[in-house]
Amino acid sequence: MHLTGIDLLFWAAGLVAHVLLLLVLWVRHRAATFRLFTLLIANNVIRTVVLYCVVLMGSKHAYLIAYLSLGSLDLILQLCVVGEMASQVFRPLGNWAPDARVRLAWIVLASVAIGAGLTWLSAIPPGHTLLSTILIRGNFFSAVLMTELFAGMVALSVTIRLPWRTHATRIIQGLGFYSFVCILIEAGHSYLGIDHDIKISADLTYFRMLTYLICVGYWIITLWLDAPAPKALPKEMEQHLLALQRQVEAHLQRLRTMGR
Amino acid sequence: MRATYFFLVLSVFLLALLILVVHSYLRRIRTEKRPYGSWEKLLGRLSAVNRENVVLIALSLVDESGQRRGPENDANLDGAQIWSMIGGIEGLETLERNCAVLVDLVYYVQQRYPEALVIAEQLRLDAREIEWHIGRLKSAAKVGRAEKAFPEHAEQVAAIYYVMTRRVLALYERWNLPGLVELQRAL
Repeated sequence: MHLTGIDLLFWAAGLVAHVLLLLVLWVRHRAATFRLFTLLIANNVIRTVVLYCVVLMGSKHAYLIAYLSLGSLDLILQLCVVGEMASQVFRPLGNWAPDARVRLAWIVLASVAIGAGLTWLSAIPPGHTLLSTILIRGNFFSAVLMTELFAGMVALSVTIRLPWRTHATRIIQGLGFYSFVCILIEAGHSYLGIDHDIKISADLTYFRMLTYLICVGYWIITLWLDAPAPKALPKEMEQHLLALQRQVEAHLQRLRTMGR
Repeated sequence: MRATYFFLVLSVFLLALLILVVHSYLRRIRTEKRPYGSWEKLLGRLSAVNRENVVLIALSLVDESGQRRGPENDANLDGAQIWSMIGGIEGLETLERNCAVLVDLVYYVQQRYPEALVIAEQLRLDAREIEWHIGRLKSAAKVGRAEKAFPEHAEQVAAIYYVMTRRVLALYERWNLPGLVELQRAL
C-alpha cells in the first residue's frame, strides 16, 4: 500500500496524541479510576504501530485482516468503556441508582436493535469482497451502537438527576461526538467503498481521523484539569445538619440508656 | 431506491438523536437553575381538597395558631362524619401528595431566602408525620380496623395539614412574595 504525506502525518499525529493521553492518564492518576478507558487508549497505541508495520510490510489483504481483528478488539474495549462510564455515572456511591439498571438494559437492547436495522438497510458497495463488506458494515454498526449508547446515557442521567460534571462525562462527550461523526462517514463509505485510491473515500477517512484527533485533544486537556468542584453546602444547611446530627446522637444515647 | 430509504431513515435517526441530546442538555440547565420547575407548575401540582372540611376537622383539634386545644374545647366529630368530610383514605392520600408540594413551595422560597430553611425542615417533619399516620391507617385497614382507627389518625392528618398550609401562607405573607393571592386561592 502506498502512503501519502498526509497519511503519514495523521499516523504520526495519532500516535503522539495517544501517547500524550496515556501520559496524562498516568501522571494525573486517572488510570486507576478509568482502567478500561486507559486500556482502550493503550490498545490504540499498539494498533497504530501494528497497522503501520503491516502497511509497510504486508499485503492489502493482510492489512484488512489486521484492521478487522484490531477493530473488533477496539469495539469490545469501547463497549467495556461504556460499562465503565455507566458504572461511574449511575453508581455514584457504589450502588446502582434506583431504576437505572433496568432502564440501561432497555437502552442497550434498543440500541442493538436499531443499529442492526440500520446496518441491514445500508448498501453494500459494488465489487467488494466479503472481508471489506464485513469491515464497512461492522464500522457502521459500531458507530450507530456507540452513539445510541452515549446519547441514552446522557438522557438517562438527566432523567434520574445524576450529576455529570466529572471526568467520566468528558470521556462520554468525546466518544459520543466521535461516534456521531463516524455514522455519517461510515454511511458514506457504505456507498463509496473504502478504497483509499478513490479521493472522496480517502477524504472521508481523513475527516474521521481529524475528528478523532480533536476528541483526543479534548480528553488530554479535560483529563489534565481537575474535575469541577461540587457546590459548597450553604452555611445554614451545614449548621442545620450539625444540629440534626447532635440531636440524633442524643436520641441514640437515650435509647441505649433505656435498653440497659 | 434502497439508498433513498436508507438516507431518509438515517436522517430521521440522526435528527432524533440530536434532539434527544440537545433536549437533555437544556433540561439539565433548567433543572440546575430551578430544581422544582416553575412556580406555576409547582402550584399546578396541588390537588383539589375540600378546604372548609379540612379546616373544620383541624379546628376541632388545634386553634388557628396551630396550638392544641384543651379537652374542654374539643368539637367531637364522630368517625362517620370525619370519613365523609375528608373523603376516606383517598382523601387523606390527596392531602399527603399536597404536603410534598407545600415542602417544594417553601424550598422554592428558600433558594432566594435561606432563612426559610427552618420552615422547610419543619414542613418536612410535618409531612413525615402525616405519612406515618396514613401508614398506620393503612395497616389498620389490612386487618379490618380502618373504621375504628380512622377518626384519630384523620383528625391528626387534617390538623397537621392545616398548620402546614398556615405556615406556607405566613411565609409568603412575611416576605410579601409574588403569587400570594394564587397561593391563598389554591390552599
